[in-house]
Amino acid sequence: MAVELSPKMQAFTQEVFPAIIGTSRKDGSVENVPVWFEYKDGSFWINGGTNRGWFKHLQRDPRITLLLIDPKEMFRWAQVQGRMVNWAEDPGGEHINELSHRYLKKDYQGPRTGRIKIQIEPLRVTGAIDGWR
Amino acid sequence: MAGAKKASAALSPAVRTLAALPILIVVATKREDGSVQLNPVWFLLEDGFVWLNSNTSRTWPKNLQRDREVTMLLVDPKTPDRYAQIRGRLVSLIPDPKHEFIDRLSMRYTGKEFRELNPGEHRVTLKIQPVSVTGDMI
Repeated sequence: MAVELSPKMQAFTQEVFPAIIGTSRKDGSVENVPVWFEYKDGSFWINGGTNRGWFKHLQRDPRITLLLIDPKEMFRWAQVQGRMVNWAEDPGGEHINELSHRYLKKDYQGPRTGRIKIQIEPLRVTGAIDGWR
Repeated sequence: MAGAKKASAALSPAVRTLAALPILIVVATKREDGSVQLNPVWFLLEDGFVWLNSNTSRTWPKNLQRDREVTMLLVDPKTPDRYAQIRGRLVSLIPDPKHEFIDRLSMRYTGKEFRELNPGEHRVTLKIQPVSVTGDMI
């Protein structure tokens, strides 16, 4: 069951820093990388190419953990356990362009083709933003 | 090759410079159900190893004792898209009964010794060998 984020968490997701995602490789080890994200309509949304390792991992095991952490004040963090519930092509790179405006305040400079957007449903939130649980 | 021992990875000057800052390292471990746990923690890079310390009752060191493979992420606080992903392996678990190591870590991050331990709190130091590094700071 998806959870609704607290008002504090919702505010935290509007701050501009990458999310650190953790996915499981085939050999069971974890891939741990920063990615652009947005939180909208109750879901987290990330964007990538279909050749990204983490997307391949998610197709095998849709469980994903996101760490939201303020890079300047790293005690401000929250861990979100979630699940990829959907993915779709990002025709024309519209979504990556929106993310580019969120992070860089300008149009996306990379390739706009062959991109996908991934919807992640939050299942559990822990960490310092909501208080320890 | 099956059973081959993975060599340790030398960390580049860029990664070592980043690791010298008092930033947290994100430690990724596997929970018993196979899901991923992420925790930002204090660390020290010394003698080619990553050194962590924890309360033995925490979940992530328990995860790490069950599955010694660990992935760690360092992010440049000035440019958060620059990162180094360090895959490693727990090589030893060292009790820290006099909390000497956690005091060292605490000095690095806060300039003070660590707080008084809680009743029943036991500290342990985790020594991790870097095995490979990826990311745009290699």
